[in-house]
Parts: sequence; structure tokens; C-alpha cells
Amino acid sequence: MAPLQAIRIQLAGQRRLAGVLGWLVLLSGLSSLVISLHAGPLLLSALSPADLALVLQAVAILGLLLIPISGVISVTSQFAFWRGWLGGLPQPADIFLEPAVATADAASTRCTIVYLDGIHQSERDHPPKVAAFLALLESRLPSHVRLFKGLETYTVTPARLADDAGGSWFWRRLFALQEHHPNPWVSLICAVLVQANNVIKVGISSDRRYGPILNYELALKVAQRLAEQGFQPGQPPGGRPQELVLLGYSGGGEMALGMAEYLRRICRCPVRIMTFCGVFSGNQLLEQVGEIAMIVGDRDPVAAFGRIAYPGRSPLLPLSNWNKALKRGQVRRHCINGLSHNGLSGPFSDRNRTAVIAAIIGGL
Amino acid sequence: MIEQALDQLARWLMQADAGLGLVALVGLSMSLSHLFALVANRLTPRQVVSQLILDALVLSLALVLASLINMLLLRAFAGAAIDPGELLAKLGPSLIPGLFYCFVAAPYISDLIASVIWALIHLNMITLLHVHFNVSYGQALVLATPGFVVALLLVVAVFHQGWQRAYRQLASTLAPTAES
Repeated sequence: MAPLQAIRIQLAGQRRLAGVLGWLVLLSGLSSLVISLHAGPLLLSALSPADLALVLQAVAILGLLLIPISGVISVTSQFAFWRGWLGGLPQPADIFLEPAVATADAASTRCTIVYLDGIHQSERDHPPKVAAFLALLESRLPSHVRLFKGLETYTVTPARLADDAGGSWFWRRLFALQEHHPNPWVSLICAVLVQANNVIKVGISSDRRYGPILNYELALKVAQRLAEQGFQPGQPPGGRPQELVLLGYSGGGEMALGMAEYLRRICRCPVRIMTFCGVFSGNQLLEQVGEIAMIVGDRDPVAAFGRIAYPGRSPLLPLSNWNKALKRGQVRRHCINGLSHNGLSGPFSDRNRTAVIAAIIGGL
Repeated sequence: MIEQALDQLARWLMQADAGLGLVALVGLSMSLSHLFALVANRLTPRQVVSQLILDALVLSLALVLASLINMLLLRAFAGAAIDPGELLAKLGPSLIPGLFYCFVAAPYISDLIASVIWALIHLNMITLLHVHFNVSYGQALVLATPGFVVALLLVVAVFHQGWQRAYRQLASTLAPTAES
């Protein structure tokens, strides 16, 4: 057996072991939580206040350890892909080598909107409310604008979360529990875990150490999917130059800002960014990117929290990439009254979706 | 002469076995926290392991140096004559939070984790100086701070020279790659 292959097999084994250990810790934490939720009053009365305090301390410590452990496991999968252990990293120059199938749609398209969903995304298909919103948006777009949806924003490989390398069995069971378990608490915990995984990906994208790799990998994936749809990089012979608009909702806004510069270089076309209810760091390379349009709601505490959670967006750091973009006049802000982050007054609600779609189309 | 020196060294090592072991483990944990910088730059597994061990040794040395500064200050200002082995054995437990330094590898919250661990180490050092050498908390703070600052500066130097440069290099090479 070739030494390189032996090393790969050994490393694959280590990765599996690390993954199993990580999930064991996660599951033991979850089971402790479930046991404590289901514990009868008799068990609780048998515990002295000191015992309860000890149990609470243990749970708190476990929680504190779980957060960085989950982060490290998530980073490991990004780097495994980067090193080519998960099927190889495509070369940017090879993506558009195949001549695109010239469809009537592709020939008349001058602008492609790439939709990047929020942290609730677990499947390629969007949730019903988001799908209805996108269908309405698509119907109102000018004829030269095309909407590209159904992109897995939080996996670097072109796969659903349930097929993601390293954790597919875990995610499949989690989704089954989320959909079919009679106890609403279990469903809720499972939904929170999916979102926690996607929040970690948002954290990786904004991290100054790991962000470049994740954003580059995502840009490669988007470019591959665009190539499949007939996208031509640069100015096609006899055609007009295309423009890409990255439309990100919530955490998708961070992914849009992260991959914009890489996508501009890979696709050799201008790239603009639009976020609605976006939560993003603004740490990324933004100088060469086109306009950044932010559609925000005056009742959106989550997007407002992004300004606190990401110091780069604070006016106290005038040399941050985001503040430099603000100084260049690159950022345009559109506020919608009564818009919150999600739910009955969120951007996908019947009440607000028309206003959000109008703002998106107005910004094109 | 050499035999005497080696005997002395052996005595120190026996006194400081737990403390030294802890210092080495903390150094390794700190080194592990930037494992991804090595993986990102496509080093071979052998290169990654050797670089990890080298970084761990340099970081352990930084922590030992900080302890020696503490020892000198204790002798100069508190009049406590103590040999390095005993000092490491007594003050070593202050480094226990550093065993979790590998979690600095976690994305986004890494700076927060690192700050908390350094603050805990300093706090532990002050408390242990107060308990073992009968100095007031104010004096302990003055005695512990120079060593702490030196250790911090050395770790920051390793971070800038090694890991951060690796990440910067990676970020700058990705952009032309994307254009090719």
C-alpha cells in the first residue's frame, strides 16, 4: 500500500474517532438534559440543594466545553475538504472549462441573484414560507434577471446537511427526531442543534483565521453550481457581461459577504451584495466588491445584535474593513418599518414580504 | 563538577515533576490550539507533528522563564529563598486553566477563551503566591505581573511569527488562486 494512502486511511480513522467522541460528548449532554426534564418530583426531592448545585455546575461546565468542541469539530470538516480528504477541491480554472449549454434563458440573463438562506436551512429545499417568498420574488423579477435558489449555504461540499461527510448518520437521526418525535421539547432541541451547527459555520466564516478557507470553498461550490446552470464567466463572445448579486437572509448575509470577493475572481464578473435582516461581521475583503445593500427592519433585534457581536462593525474601530466600506459610500441601507427578524412580522410573513421584495427589486 | 550539577538538576526535576509536567502539557495545549494553521498550509503529517512539538517546547520554555522571574522577584523583594523545582511544584497548579488552551482553536470565540484562560492563570498565580509565601494580595500582584507579562509577550511573539503569518500567507495565496 502506498505510504500516502496509508496515511490517508489512518487520518480518516482518526477523524471518524474524533467525530464519534465529539458526538458522544454531545449526546451525553443531551441525555442529561432529557433526564433532568423527565425526572419526577421524587428524584428531585431526594437531592439536597448542594447536590442540585453540583449537578447544575456539571451541566454548565459541560455546556461550556461543548461550545468550543463543536466549533473545533466543525472546523475539522472544513479543513478535511481543504486538504482534499473529502473528494478533492476543484481548481477554479477547471470550473468553467466545459462549454455551457446555451439556453435562451442563459443568453438573455444579465444579472443572476444567488439566494443564501438563513441558519434555519437544513435541506436544499427551502421551508414553505421561504419557498413562497422566493416564488413571488421570481415572478416579479425583470426578464433579464434570474434567481438561483436551493443552494446549501452551510455545507462546503455540494451536499445536504444529512449527507455531509463525517456526521451524516447523526444529522439523519436528528432530522427524523425533529419531524416525528411526539414530544415537542425533543423536536425543539433538534431544531436548535441544526441551527447551532449553522451558527458555527457563520462563526467560521467571520473568523480571521478560518474564514478565508471556508469562504473560498463556498465560492467554489457556488461557481460550480452556476456553471451547471449555464453561467458564462467574464463577457461571453457576442453576449453582454453578467453580474452576480448575492442575496443573503440573516446568517446568509455573512456567507454572502465572505464569498463575494472570491466569487468575483472565480467568475470574473462584478459581484454585489444584498442582505435582508442580515447578521454579518464585515471582516471580509470588500474593496473590490460592488455595492452592499442592507434591508433592515426597525423591529429586528437579531440583526441589531450583529453590530454588538461583531466588533468590526463598531464605530470604535474606524480601520475595520466594514467601516472602510462605509467611508467609501459602498453601503446603502433601506429600513422597513415594522419588520422583525422572523415570525408573523418577519420578511417571509404575509405582512412584510411584499415590502421586502419591492426593496430587493428596487435595489437591483 | 558535572556530577554535582547533574545531581542538582535531578533533585530539581524530582521536586518539580508535577509542575514541569503541567508546564509541558500547557505548552502542548497552546501549540494544539493552532494546529489548523499547520494543516491549512498543507504541511505533511510528519511536519505537523514536529512543528507542534517544537512550538510546545518553546511555549513551555516561556512559562518556565516566567516562573524563574517570579523566583527572582520573590527572593529580591519578599526575601523568600526558594529553588526552581520547589517553586514550579508550588506554583504549577496555577497553570491548570492553560490545559484548556487547545479550545482557542474554536472559531470566533477564540479571543474570549484565550483572554479568560490568561486572566485565570494570573489570578491563580497571585492566590498561590499569597498562600505559599505569606505575602499580601497587593504584593503578590506586583510579584506575579512581570513574569506573567513576559510569558504573554513570548506567546504573542510565537503567535505572530508562526501561526498568524501562516494564516496571512494562506489568505493572500487564496486570492490569486481564485483568479487563476
